[in-house]
Amino acid sequence: MTPLRWSLLCLALVAAALLALAVGTIGYTPVESWRALMGRGDATAIFVVRELRLPRMVLAVLLGVGLGISGAALQGVMRNPLAEPYLLGVSGGAAVGAVLAVIAGLSFAVVPLAAFAGAIAAVIVALSVARATRGRGDPRVLVMAGVVVGAFANAAILILMANADASKVRGAVWWMMGSVADASWTQTAWLAAYVLTGAVVLVAQGRVIDALALGEDSAAGLGVDVDRTMRRVYLTASLVAAATVAAAGLVGFVGLVVPHIARRLGAGSHRSVLIASAVSGALLTVAADLVARVALPPAELPLGAITALVGVPFFLLTLRRLT
Amino acid sequence: MRIVSLTPATTEILFALGAGDRLVGRDQYSHWPDAAERVPDLGPGLRPNVEAVLAARPDLVLLYASEDNRGAAQRLRQAGIVTAAYKVDRIQQFDSLTRQLGRLVGDSARGARVADTVKHTLDSVRALTRDAARVSVVMPTWDRPLIVIGGGSFMSELVDIAGGRNVYDTSRTPSPTVTFEDVVRRNPDAVLVGPERAAIVRTSAAWRGLGAVRRGRVLVLDTALTLRPAVRLGEGAVSLARLLHPELFR
Repeated sequence: MTPLRWSLLCLALVAAALLALAVGTIGYTPVESWRALMGRGDATAIFVVRELRLPRMVLAVLLGVGLGISGAALQGVMRNPLAEPYLLGVSGGAAVGAVLAVIAGLSFAVVPLAAFAGAIAAVIVALSVARATRGRGDPRVLVMAGVVVGAFANAAILILMANADASKVRGAVWWMMGSVADASWTQTAWLAAYVLTGAVVLVAQGRVIDALALGEDSAAGLGVDVDRTMRRVYLTASLVAAATVAAAGLVGFVGLVVPHIARRLGAGSHRSVLIASAVSGALLTVAADLVARVALPPAELPLGAITALVGVPFFLLTLRRLT
Repeated sequence: MRIVSLTPATTEILFALGAGDRLVGRDQYSHWPDAAERVPDLGPGLRPNVEAVLAARPDLVLLYASEDNRGAAQRLRQAGIVTAAYKVDRIQQFDSLTRQLGRLVGDSARGARVADTVKHTLDSVRALTRDAARVSVVMPTWDRPLIVIGGGSFMSELVDIAGGRNVYDTSRTPSPTVTFEDVVRRNPDAVLVGPERAAIVRTSAAWRGLGAVRRGRVLVLDTALTLRPAVRLGEGAVSLARLLHPELFR
């Protein structure tokens, strides 16, 4: 990737982030928004920009970084262009956890924890199935195990929701549509801890993933411990994805589409694919959340659907150019 | 005082209390009374757009009490706005809400008057139907899945006051999902539905399996009066009593 493209990508993210702070239901001028961000001017404006729009934008950035980087890492290490946390059952597990918590009538503060626990459970099941079949983490078996765990999770959700009270079903569905509308600073700080740690670990594995891309035997020949690398990357990526799901519900499509866009932009080595995926992921979620907020005011659209609406045309274009 | 009311029941009650002119925002479903239509629509009452609510610069925001609204309530309080959340499923809840809103808008006498008027009407309907034979009813509100009014709903109480008995009054939830076979087993004397469902109930093969439907006992509710437990509860009880016991009104 050329330095020019890197700067354009980063510039686009900064522009989208500033726009997210300036645009909303209340039509503040850019100057008013800026003054409010700096803590000056009207008290309501300061609250709206600093306590509503800012945490929301930061959460969207972290969400995009986490989903983008975990998708890129999983696609790399599994050598599968479809691999992403959602295909691998992580989201399904998280959804079961969250729906259980919602339907049991637990407080909304517990729902993210339950989602996180569900995601981790799904990862453990998929990983142990894959390891049992061949005594090692075969990527194909891992993908299949993930898909099956996801299907099982779907069935469990349908059964839970079929008999639940209408108001609880509404809460569960809302959660599954994904949203950063309830962003708070505590939530953002938690997600930042997971996403940034995970990102550092994954980027550090970039060279090893490059070697793995040559095939397991060649990688082993280069002195890479294939099994350990795969497990480490898979677990880290899943943990990051689980944290994003816990913070913002199910926001699909980012993990799948963003690594392809990153490669399309010219990112070659996995280190640059990972970083470019993180930045473009953030750009996609911040832009999608902006659309979700302003498309149909005063109502809001589900973020998870917008990421797909915005991402699909990009993705199709990428596919066409590849063939 | 600038008030934003994000539930139809509180909007209705505020107008009845003569505080309609203090409303600076309402949710998208607050359509009654007609004057409510002139209050700015701030969108959904569940998971409201906090920014839109703040833009109306309210001192008091009335929300529907639900997990969905926790986040919004928290944010509004952070912004220094007084919020109150209500859920009105039962007639008693309407009564206390009306008195409470009366105090909030600084006219407890009027709050008490509105609540007492409704209570008085309900009492007289109850007295009127006291000796009448109970008509058992089922009240479907949705088809797939089949959802009916349960004992947790004010509608069940209203039917009781009007001389009927909801065959699902033992269910503690306001709107349980049930099976058709179970409805047949409970064999109600009549089916009580809103105008838009009446045709479906009268013509569907499944519903015709019910003796009440074959006998033509499909009673059409005035849903404008019985949609929610609010100021028109009394009128709702009267219209229900007329449906269930026309003989008492001759």
